[in-house]
Amino acid sequence: MLIQVNFKSGKPVYLQVVDQIKAAAASGGVRPGEPLPSIRPLAEQLRINRNTVAKAFTELESQGIVEAIPGKGYFLSENNSPFKKEVRHKMLTEEIDAAIVQAHHLQVSDEDFLALVKKRLGIFEEKNKRAERG
Amino acid sequence: MKTEQPVIEINHLVRRYGRADAVNGLSLSVRAGSCFGFFGRNGAGKTTTIKCLLNLLKPTLGSISVFGMNPAENEVAVKKRLAYVPDQVAFYPWMTVRDTLNYFASFRERWNQQTEKNLLGQFRLDPSEKVNGLSKGQKTQLALISAICPEPELLVLDEPTSGLDPIVRREFIQTVIGAYQEADPANRTVFVSTHLISEFEGLIDEFVIIEDGREKLALGADAAREKFKKIRARFSGDVPAMQMPGILDSRRDGRDLEIIANGEAANIMNRLRAHSPESLTSESLTLEDIFAVTLK
Repeated sequence: MLIQVNFKSGKPVYLQVVDQIKAAAASGGVRPGEPLPSIRPLAEQLRINRNTVAKAFTELESQGIVEAIPGKGYFLSENNSPFKKEVRHKMLTEEIDAAIVQAHHLQVSDEDFLALVKKRLGIFEEKNKRAERG
Repeated sequence: MKTEQPVIEINHLVRRYGRADAVNGLSLSVRAGSCFGFFGRNGAGKTTTIKCLLNLLKPTLGSISVFGMNPAENEVAVKKRLAYVPDQVAFYPWMTVRDTLNYFASFRERWNQQTEKNLLGQFRLDPSEKVNGLSKGQKTQLALISAICPEPELLVLDEPTSGLDPIVRREFIQTVIGAYQEADPANRTVFVSTHLISEFEGLIDEFVIIEDGREKLALGADAAREKFKKIRARFSGDVPAMQMPGILDSRRDGRDLEIIANGEAANIMNRLRAHSPESLTSESLTLEDIFAVTLK
């Protein structure tokens, strides 16, 4: 898993780390039970403060995506999200709404939008399969 | 963690040299465990402020507290818990690297041998070499090693990288701060004064930009990058006239418009969108860009 941060993106740096680890987990880049990089080497590699990396890991932990094992570091959780289904749907709805608004401004039709969502889902599935095959 | 006592608290500090105000009403507060950037041009009052922190200079007015104590009244108690690397490091030239480290260690209650060994190895510093023969970069490395081995709760760095090779300095700052914070991150605070901001971009949690001894801007690094944006738009016809709050600066060239926004970026983008631009993008300013536009 290679993480990159971009100071010009306007997104807080710790959230960039959170999102990329979540993306890696969703596409099989890291698998359940596998360790995440430890804080200091990751901080040095990204040239960011260890506080920022620690904040990202704490956030991932609170979302149930990673687990801290004392003395061993952080691992991708075997379990799924700790949130109830309705909460999970609500969280996702906000993100989908943002994409719908963006699609409207970019004059992307509803059909094209849905087709694009399907295509992206396919790409993630493909990545997952490839990761499983190793 | 927010309710904890700040490691450094400065209130309305004034320091005059004769009639000139080097520091003129500066206030700031540094949270334990953070990496705090103290930014300003040369001559803005950074070093004077640091000297007041260390009780090397007496404030004309205002108050300073370090670990909750007045450094003028509790000099030893304060200095025990901090380490300071000045912009010009000086060693006894006849000593070797080993002698120098032993000499510094003799003043300290604690000295982490392992950290010393690791960093000497990483920087490829030869303990038997005379300090006289070291390059400027190696001297700074030695100063940084002697600053972090006592495991101070506060590390004060004054222009630690000025005059050094740009590639080297980036790396070793990262290495030193990483090693420093490793053992007990919640109690490892860094206060770094610099005008070479890009090297510290990712390390800084919070910062203050000062000019003429006064605060110009104080923010968290993420909040600052969220607030300051560069917006670019291209139009098919004339570029619309834009006058609204939050526009710090704008440039136009033909059909292109570039706006530097200080907050209000979403409103500015919406207004531009109403003029149906062919393209519209925005990106955050880096801390270095923010420094430049703030002092413009």
